[in-house]
Amino acid sequence: MNTQEQMDCRKAAEKLYDLLDGELTADVEQKLRDHVSACPHCFTVADFEQRFLAALQKLKERGCCPDGLRSKVTESLRAAGFRG
Amino acid sequence: MTEPAPLAPPANEAFSALALTALDDVYRFARSLTRDEADAEDVVQETYLRAFRSWMTFQTGTDVRRWLFTIARNVFLRSKERGKREVNLDDDGAEAVDAAEAHDNWVRKGLDPILASSELGPAISAALETLPESFRSVVVLVDVEDQSYEDAAEVLGIPVGTVRSRLFRGRKLLQEQLITHAQDAGLIPMSGDAGRNA
Repeated sequence: MNTQEQMDCRKAAEKLYDLLDGELTADVEQKLRDHVSACPHCFTVADFEQRFLAALQKLKERGCCPDGLRSKVTESLRAAGFRG
Repeated sequence: MTEPAPLAPPANEAFSALALTALDDVYRFARSLTRDEADAEDVVQETYLRAFRSWMTFQTGTDVRRWLFTIARNVFLRSKERGKREVNLDDDGAEAVDAAEAHDNWVRKGLDPILASSELGPAISAALETLPESFRSVVVLVDVEDQSYEDAAEVLGIPVGTVRSRLFRGRKLLQEQLITHAQDAGLIPMSGDAGRNA
């Protein structure tokens, strides 16, 4: 990689999570996407991070509240005046 | 202590429809804060009581989950007297990038097998529990609960830049923990490179 390319890759590394989290402006996002699609190194990093974050998001499917908690919450709310 | 006036029927319905439907989300967040099921249940119960008592202050049209997460976080901090800010954990993001770049390659090589493993879910849950609370809460809010950086900042009472840097470091710490897990489980070999710290 030449110096210019390194600078681009460094900026891409700094902004990669912002890109994957949808936190960039459209202009910056497009520039970053252009770089990532053209740079094999950054493409590999982005692919890995995307799969890692997708795996992390699947935790949502695992962690539901335990049996009984919903009724405990409802009971304590009713004691406080809840009429739902 | 004087009990607040009971909510009018429409308010009860709104509380049911909005707040109570987020119970799983609030529990998951509380569980990530406390790392203990019983403590998480206590936080959830107290969160809902406080939410109910202050329901009139909830602004219709805003994100009820963000509002409940904020209450849950406050309940947790008060119960554990953990109100002190851990400002020493918040370094400049660029420094984290330097550290991360140095071992990104071996992390990717090491983690690839486990990303495809059926053990990934339990491994991520276990790894998440090893993170310091300041990182864990940001990772859970953004990565699991789909909160924006701005929303997470509001829930945690920290600047957006701090959310960004904690998220970066939290994710890298999580990846390192997963490497350790994968090595312990025999999914990837122990090696000098893969075992070193960044």
